[in-house]
Amino acid sequence: MTTMPSPLNRRDTLRLFSLPALSGVLGLPATAALAQAPARPPRIVSVNGAMTEIVYALGAEKQLVGTDTTSLFPAAALQTAKVGYMRQLSAEGLLSLKPDAVIGTTEAGPGVVMDQVRSAGVKVELVEADHSWGEVQRKVAAVGRATSRVAQANALQAKLDAEWAGVLAAVAASKGGRKPRAIFILSHSSSAQVSGDKTAAHAMMVFAGLQNALAGSFSAYRPMTAESIVTAAPDVIVTTVQGIEASGGLEKFWARPGLEMTPAYRRRAVVALDALYLIGFGPRLPQAVTELHQAAWKVTA
Amino acid sequence: MNARQFTGFADGLLEAIGVGVEVPGKTLLRDASACFMAGQVTAILGPNGAGKSTLLSLLTGQRAPANGMVRLAGQPLAAHTPGDLARVRACVAQETQVAFDFTVQEVVELGRYPHRRHPSPQESGIVLQAMQATAVDHLAQRALNTLSGGEKARVHLARALAQVWEPVWRKAFFPPGRPKEKTDPSGGREPHEVGERGGSISRWLLLDEPTAALDLQHQHRMLQLVRDWAVGQGVGVVAVLHDLNLALRYSDRCVVLRDGQVVASGASDQVLTPACIEEVWGVRAHAAPAGEGTQRRPQYVFEPGEGDSRGFAGD
Amino acid sequence: MRPRSVNSALLPGERRRWPARAVLGLGVLLLALSFLVASARGSYVISPLQLWAVLMDALGGAAQPSPEHLVFMNIRLPRLLMGMAAGAALGLSGALMQGLFRNPLADPGLIGVSSGAALAAGTTIVLGSLWFPEMPRTLGSWTLVLTAFTGSLVVTLLVYALSQQDGATRVGLMLLAGIAINALAGAGLGFLTFLATDEQLRNIQFWLLGSLGGARWSAVVLVFSIVAVAVAAGLTLAKPLNAIALGEAQAALLGVPVENVKRFAVLVTALAVGAVTATTGIIGFIGLMAPHCVRLVAGPDHRVVLPGSALLGAALVLAADSVARTIVQPAELPLGVLTAFVGVPFFLLLLRHFRSRL
Repeated sequence: MTTMPSPLNRRDTLRLFSLPALSGVLGLPATAALAQAPARPPRIVSVNGAMTEIVYALGAEKQLVGTDTTSLFPAAALQTAKVGYMRQLSAEGLLSLKPDAVIGTTEAGPGVVMDQVRSAGVKVELVEADHSWGEVQRKVAAVGRATSRVAQANALQAKLDAEWAGVLAAVAASKGGRKPRAIFILSHSSSAQVSGDKTAAHAMMVFAGLQNALAGSFSAYRPMTAESIVTAAPDVIVTTVQGIEASGGLEKFWARPGLEMTPAYRRRAVVALDALYLIGFGPRLPQAVTELHQAAWKVTA
Repeated sequence: MNARQFTGFADGLLEAIGVGVEVPGKTLLRDASACFMAGQVTAILGPNGAGKSTLLSLLTGQRAPANGMVRLAGQPLAAHTPGDLARVRACVAQETQVAFDFTVQEVVELGRYPHRRHPSPQESGIVLQAMQATAVDHLAQRALNTLSGGEKARVHLARALAQVWEPVWRKAFFPPGRPKEKTDPSGGREPHEVGERGGSISRWLLLDEPTAALDLQHQHRMLQLVRDWAVGQGVGVVAVLHDLNLALRYSDRCVVLRDGQVVASGASDQVLTPACIEEVWGVRAHAAPAGEGTQRRPQYVFEPGEGDSRGFAGD
Repeated sequence: MRPRSVNSALLPGERRRWPARAVLGLGVLLLALSFLVASARGSYVISPLQLWAVLMDALGGAAQPSPEHLVFMNIRLPRLLMGMAAGAALGLSGALMQGLFRNPLADPGLIGVSSGAALAAGTTIVLGSLWFPEMPRTLGSWTLVLTAFTGSLVVTLLVYALSQQDGATRVGLMLLAGIAINALAGAGLGFLTFLATDEQLRNIQFWLLGSLGGARWSAVVLVFSIVAVAVAAGLTLAKPLNAIALGEAQAALLGVPVENVKRFAVLVTALAVGAVTATTGIIGFIGLMAPHCVRLVAGPDHRVVLPGSALLGAALVLAADSVARTIVQPAELPLGVLTAFVGVPFFLLLLRHFRSRL
C-alpha cells in the first residue's frame, strides 16, 4: 500500500478506463440521477406484463432493455432479455442490463433485491395493484415518468380514459336487466382454483356486468371443489385460454367434477380469454371488458 | 509420603458381588459372585444362555446390575470416571462393526484415545508393538473391513493391548479425579513397586469369546499372549471361553455358570472335572492321552452325553 | 515412524491416503480459487481490472463509488460470503451426521433441520398473511428468517426428544423419528400448498428451491458469525467421532462421553444449518457430497474429514452459485436446483458403491 502512486490519480485513471466500458452514466449516485434529466433516453426494465404493453404503446420500445416472464404482449416483447419471474428477480441480473429505471407492481420481489437495485442508483418504481381503473392510470403515469415520455403518457391516458368511460356506458346500457352469475376458474396447474373477491378477475367480472357467484364468501383464490361450484350455480364460466390448454382442451375442462351440475354446463357457457389480456390490467383493459361482456351475454342468452 | 498405603490386595481385584440381572420375562443372572485377580487368567465358562456374556457386560460396565455390585480395585465401578476406567481396562467384544474404511493402524491407534491428554513419549512405538504382538503389523495399511474374521479379531485385540500397554500409577488413579497422571517413561514393568509413585494400578483385559473367529494356530497364540501379559506384567485377564481344553490349558482359574448362577469357581484343573463337565454341559469327558502339553494341564476328549440320543431337543 | 507394508505397491484393500496437510491445503486452495472465480463472474460484467479498482476503493475509501463498486460490495460480496458460510455449515454438519449415524449416506436433513425451517417458512408465507395482511410486503425481511430459524430448532429438538430411551439417545430411533417428522413436515407443507394463493405458492416454491439472492450484509454478518462458532465447536468432535466409528459401546469403553458427543453434534448442526436454511432456503446434497469426497482422498479420520468437508462444502456452494447466477442470465437459477442436478447422480453412484454394505 505504501508504494502506491497518488491514490487520486490512480483512481481517476481507472475510472476513466472503466467509463467507456459502460454504456450509460450510472457512475452518478442516486441523488444526481434524480436531479438532472439524463442526456439520452433512459433504459427501462419492466417486470410487469401490463406495463410492458404500455411501453410499446408509448412507442418507447427501444428503451426497453429487459422484461420479466409475464411480459408476453406484444410479440416483440418475447425477444427482449428475460430477467426471470417477477417475484424472484436477481439484483445483479437486473443491474447487468444497466437500466436507469425498473418498473413494475408492488408484487415484484424479493424485497431485498429491489433494495439492492435501488442502492445501486437505479430508480425503482413499483405501482400498487388494487384492481381498479386507477391501477391502469398509475401504470401509465409510471411508465411515462420512467421513459421520460410524460407528454405521450398523458395523451395515452386521456385516450384510455375516454375509451373506458365509453365501455362502462356501453356495458351499463346493454345489460338488459340481466346480471348473469359467473365464476372465474384459474387452472394453469393441475389443481384448479376459483376466485372470490379482491382479485383482478373479480374486478373484471364486475366491470363486465357479471355477478361473481363466489364473492362475499371469501377473498383471493381457493381450491375448486365440486360442492362449492354446484352451490354457486354459475350461468357462465370465465377462464383463461392458457387454463383450457393446461386442462387438455375444452372437453377435459368441462369434465372437472361439479361443473356438470351447473347451469353453465347445459349450454357449455364459457368465456376464455388470454391471461394477460383478461387480468393483466393493462392498456387493453377497456377492450377486454367489452369482449368479456359481449361474450358472456352471448353464451347466456 | 502418601499415608494411604494400600494393602496391595484390593487393588488387584475385580469383583462381582451378588449381582443379578433381569430382563422382562427372564432372569439372566441371579445372585452371582465371582472374584477375578490381577496376574491371572480367569475363564468364564458355561453352556449357551448361562449368562457368561451378561456377567462380562457387568464387568465392563455396559450393564448395571439390578442388585449386587461390581468393584474394581476395591471401589464400585460407578465411583471411577469413564476416562480413568478406560486407561486401565480394555475390553474386546465378540464382534465390533467398524464404520467407514479405517485402516488397521488407525483402529489400533484408537486404543490410545484414553491417553490423549497425557500421551506417552512412545505413542507410535506402542501402536507398532501392539500390532506386532498379534501379528497384524503386515496388515497395517489395509482397510479393516476387508479382512477376515480372524484378522479382525486380532486387530481388536491389538487395540486393547495398546489401550493398556503401559502401567498407570496409583497416585494418578486414587482418588478419582486427581488431575496428574504419570506414566513410567522407561516402560518399566514393575507393577507391584511400592515407592514414591505408590505402585501401579492393575490393568485388565476383558475378552468376550476372543477365539471364536480364530483358526487353531491363532487361538493358541492369542491365549498364550494374554497369559504372558497376565503372568509377566500382572495384568488381569478375564475371558469368556467356549473351548474347555483351551480354558484348562491357558487359564489359572475359572468361573462356571449355568442358568444364570455360578455353579463352581476356583482353579481350572480342580473345577473342571469330568463330573462337573457332565453335569453342566451334558457331555462325557475322558482324559486325553498324555502328550507334551498335557503334563501340567489336563486335556479332555468329549463325547455326547445321554440326552443327545434324542437329537437337538432336550437339555 | 508409520510402519509401511514391505513393498510399496498397494495390496488389495489398501488405501493410499493423502497426508492430512496436503488435503487441507488443497481444500483451502480450492476455496480460494472458487472465491476468486465467483468474484469475477456474474451477470454484471466486472473485469479483473475493475475488480482491482473496487478493492482499492474499499481499502482507500472512495468518495464516489463506481457502479462496479456498488454491485460488488453490496450485492456480490455479501452473496459470496453467505455462500461460504452456507457451504461450510452444510459440509461440516454432513460430516458430523455421517459420523454420528456411522453411515456415509447421512445428511443434516435427517434430523429435521431443513424440513422444520421449510414448514415454518411455509406457514409464515401462507398463514402469516391471514394474521398480518401486510405480510407480502415484508417477506424476505427478518420475519421469515426468524420464523424459519425457530422452526428448524423446534423440529430438531422434537426429533432429539423422540430419540431418547432410558436416558440415552438411540441413534436408530433418531433416524426413524427424523423420517417421521420429515414426513409430517412434508404433509404440513402440502396442506399449506393447498391453501396457498398463486403468489404464496410461488414464494414457497422459491424458498424451497434455495437461493443466495437474499444476502444482505446484516444477514451475512449474523449467519457468518453463527457458522464460524459452530464450525469451531464442531471440529472438537473429531477424535470422539473416530472412536464412535467402533460403535457406541466400544467408544464408551474408551472413555468417550458418547451421550454428550451426540447432543453436541445435534446442537452444532441445528444451529449452523438452521441459520443457513433460514436465510437461503434449502440447499441440498452439499452435506452428502463434501464429506464423501474428502474421505475418498484422505480416509475417514474425522480430524481431516471435518475441516475438509467445511472447506470443500464452501467451495462447492460458491462454484454452484457462480453457475446459478450466469447460466440463464440475466435471470437466475435457484441454487437448490443446481445442487440437486449434481447431487442426485452423485447420490446414486454412492448407493451403487455401498450397495454391498447396506
